[in-house]
Amino acid sequence: MKKKGIGFYLRIYGKILAQDLKSKMSYRADFIISTIGMIFTNISGFVSFWILFKNFSSINGWSYYEMLFLYGFSLVSITPVQCLFDNNWSLRIYVYSGDFIKYCFRPINLFFYFQSEVFDIKGLGQLAFGIGTIVYSWSRIGLAVTPLAIIKLVVFLITASLIMIALQNAAAATCFWIQNSFYVLDLAFKFKDYARYPITIFSPVFRFIFTFVIPIAFIAYYPSLVILRPDAVPILSWLSPVIGVMFFYISYKIWMYGAMKYSGTGS
Amino acid sequence: MSIKKYLTLTRAGIIEALQFRLSFLVMIIGNLLYLIVIYFLWKAIYASAGTDVVGGMTFSDTLIYLVLATALYNFMEMYTVWEIGRNIQSGKIVLDLLKPMEYRRYLFWSYSGSFVTQFFLTFLPTFIAVSILTHGAISFGVNLPLFVVSVIMAISINYSIDFIVGTICLYTESIWGINIMKQVIVLLLSGATIPIAFFPEPLKSAMFYLPFQSIYNAPLTVLLHGGSDIESALRLMGMQLVWVVIMNVISIVFWKASLRQITVNGG
Amino acid sequence: MSSIIEIKNVSKEFKVLNRREGLKGSLMDLFSRDYKIVKAVDDISMTIEPGEIVGYLGPNGAGKSTTIKMMTGVLEPSSGEILVNGKIPYKNRTENAQQIGVVFGQRSQLWWALPLIESFKILKDIYMIPDSDYNNMLEFYKSLVDIDDLLHKPVRQMSLGQRTLSDILAAFLHNPAIVFLDEPTIGLDVSMKAKIRTLIKGLNKEKKTTVILTTHDMGDVDALCERIVIIDHGKMLYDNDIEHLKGFFGSYRTLKVRVDDDLKVESEIIQGEFEDLQVTSDDEWISILVDEDKIGVIDVFGTLQKTHKISDMQIEEISTEDVIKKIYEGGVK
Repeated sequence: MKKKGIGFYLRIYGKILAQDLKSKMSYRADFIISTIGMIFTNISGFVSFWILFKNFSSINGWSYYEMLFLYGFSLVSITPVQCLFDNNWSLRIYVYSGDFIKYCFRPINLFFYFQSEVFDIKGLGQLAFGIGTIVYSWSRIGLAVTPLAIIKLVVFLITASLIMIALQNAAAATCFWIQNSFYVLDLAFKFKDYARYPITIFSPVFRFIFTFVIPIAFIAYYPSLVILRPDAVPILSWLSPVIGVMFFYISYKIWMYGAMKYSGTGS
Repeated sequence: MSIKKYLTLTRAGIIEALQFRLSFLVMIIGNLLYLIVIYFLWKAIYASAGTDVVGGMTFSDTLIYLVLATALYNFMEMYTVWEIGRNIQSGKIVLDLLKPMEYRRYLFWSYSGSFVTQFFLTFLPTFIAVSILTHGAISFGVNLPLFVVSVIMAISINYSIDFIVGTICLYTESIWGINIMKQVIVLLLSGATIPIAFFPEPLKSAMFYLPFQSIYNAPLTVLLHGGSDIESALRLMGMQLVWVVIMNVISIVFWKASLRQITVNGG
Repeated sequence: MSSIIEIKNVSKEFKVLNRREGLKGSLMDLFSRDYKIVKAVDDISMTIEPGEIVGYLGPNGAGKSTTIKMMTGVLEPSSGEILVNGKIPYKNRTENAQQIGVVFGQRSQLWWALPLIESFKILKDIYMIPDSDYNNMLEFYKSLVDIDDLLHKPVRQMSLGQRTLSDILAAFLHNPAIVFLDEPTIGLDVSMKAKIRTLIKGLNKEKKTTVILTTHDMGDVDALCERIVIIDHGKMLYDNDIEHLKGFFGSYRTLKVRVDDDLKVESEIIQGEFEDLQVTSDDEWISILVDEDKIGVIDVFGTLQKTHKISDMQIEEISTEDVIKKIYEGGVK
């Protein structure tokens, strides 16, 4: 049998995606309303932000625009989880009903096959919001725009996104062991909101927890420092790509282990 | 009308909720994490502000308000919109309509079991913890019975809004989009995420004329200040009562009018 | 020729939660839980040769699905050994998947929103089917069943029968060595059942595909299977030719009668009169299974005629359905 490499999987993903988008266009009303819902969510986030800074001019030494940069950074870095891994939300339903078994019969990677089924196009709206926020706050802070800075930004955004993906994978995988894992997933989903704040506001104990146990500080705070505070970048910021990849790998292993262990215990 | 058939649904709901013991644990951990995050966040905010009182609220006022708002949210969120939407999509709604009970009531009482469990498992412990930790910042007097009445009215308003939004799903087929819009609007405009006291002026008075502040802001204000200022507490509750009537009427009429939609579509 | 599937002394156990009853029970479950071990499959052995169509039968919950899940590599046996095409399925799940096709429990494996032909194209890539094989297979499908209407229809808009048909076509698309069909005709109308049987038979004949079929429909068994394996409570009850099985019941005949009154009511009355015999009814006939070593068919008919107004009658060899029913009841050694 031929080896199935990244090229093989990318081609399959592209095909499924193209077909999926085509069929989504036939549900136009749902698409439009969902997009509006997504815009609402983002606007409400901004409004909360704005109200907060109406009352307080800075938080823990972070100015309004720096906080806005963090916020934009977190929005972009959670886009991949929204777009590419949205089927995780349905996992518990497939497992509960026994329909999950249908993913087990294909000669391709189970995790890939499952996730490839859904591409959530709404996330692209969020991406646009996030990029807009980053650009706006970047120019307001008056940071220099260099090719190197942009490359850094892109690399750190991608690796930061792996953290959120990892958290969501692990949370979704709990459904292989416990019933009604919705709460776990919902909890993990809320982490994205906590990732917007500088880790320095927490006490040392929670700084440690949010760095090493539930690594949400790597979703926006540590990678942002590379751009925002280029003169004093802590070592953890430079490590954040490694940590992103590592956590993603661990979450993938947990997910696969759960899927194999579960293996259609229901009849 | 016998109350017994409704209480049967409540009992079934409690039994169902108890099947998922791990979700309780997760929910409690999730709430704790959320509370930790808002504690440190607002501590940092107040520390940066330089003054003790902002928007008429001290740090501990704000914290008590937000903690109880979260507890109240966990207790009142019933995922009604999801349920109605799912029932519409799967066609199960036709079966529910055949039950010898009005659908609006049937759904409410089916969920009432989770009210009971949530009340004892999340709201009550949080409430007790807050009142002990803040050394009597919550007074125990006439405000308590007023609070209970106010919460009951809040539940009624919240449920009516949910039911109206759920009914909209009959027309749109877009559950996610509709639900997220509702959630975002309710959470922001009800004062559940940021206390209404912090909102800038024109917005603040505008919100007073909307139904949403009756859901979280009203009961919490009654609880925290109802002991010392009975008159304004009663005024808030009068406002709530008006909204209870309006929202209930709208949701009942809208549902009745929309039922034709089901009959036409054949479910 | 070597066997394509070898199963040796395979067992599978599950841990099942005992739930307590009522509100108090639920509260108790919250703090302490009580598990019991269930043996879904208990020491099963069989070998299947290439090109066979094997009917795998048994009542609901007998362990059929569990066995199939083990053969497809989804479940690991608790003990025993399974070889599919010389490999252990559980350890080589993806490799095994390449050479099998599965239609499982009416759960469509196709992309819900996509037209069938698009699903096929994706499967073509997933299974790395060469263009010529793919086109030949499509041509062959067209010669067996009329699929032109189906190809451009999204799966979600199909009727149950069309969906099942599509799933079967998808399962054979990469020309697998073995296809597992779990209840392929459940809930379908008579003409669709016939269509699906023709399709399976045709594919088996032309492509020499081994087919493992679980079903409750004896029409499927009669139309397709030469060999049947029967299990119940996880234990194997029977594994041999259908003809051989019928030989056991050589002295059995089925007496079929038609009456003018309500068949169901009448059949219950008759059952009351002949307590030793097995009486069943369908839309047209009341069937009475008679063991001629004990009582003659004509004697039974004579007795019946005295008390019932019979409009038509037939005497048949024992049907497969009756044989299997007998076996479930413990009638064969």
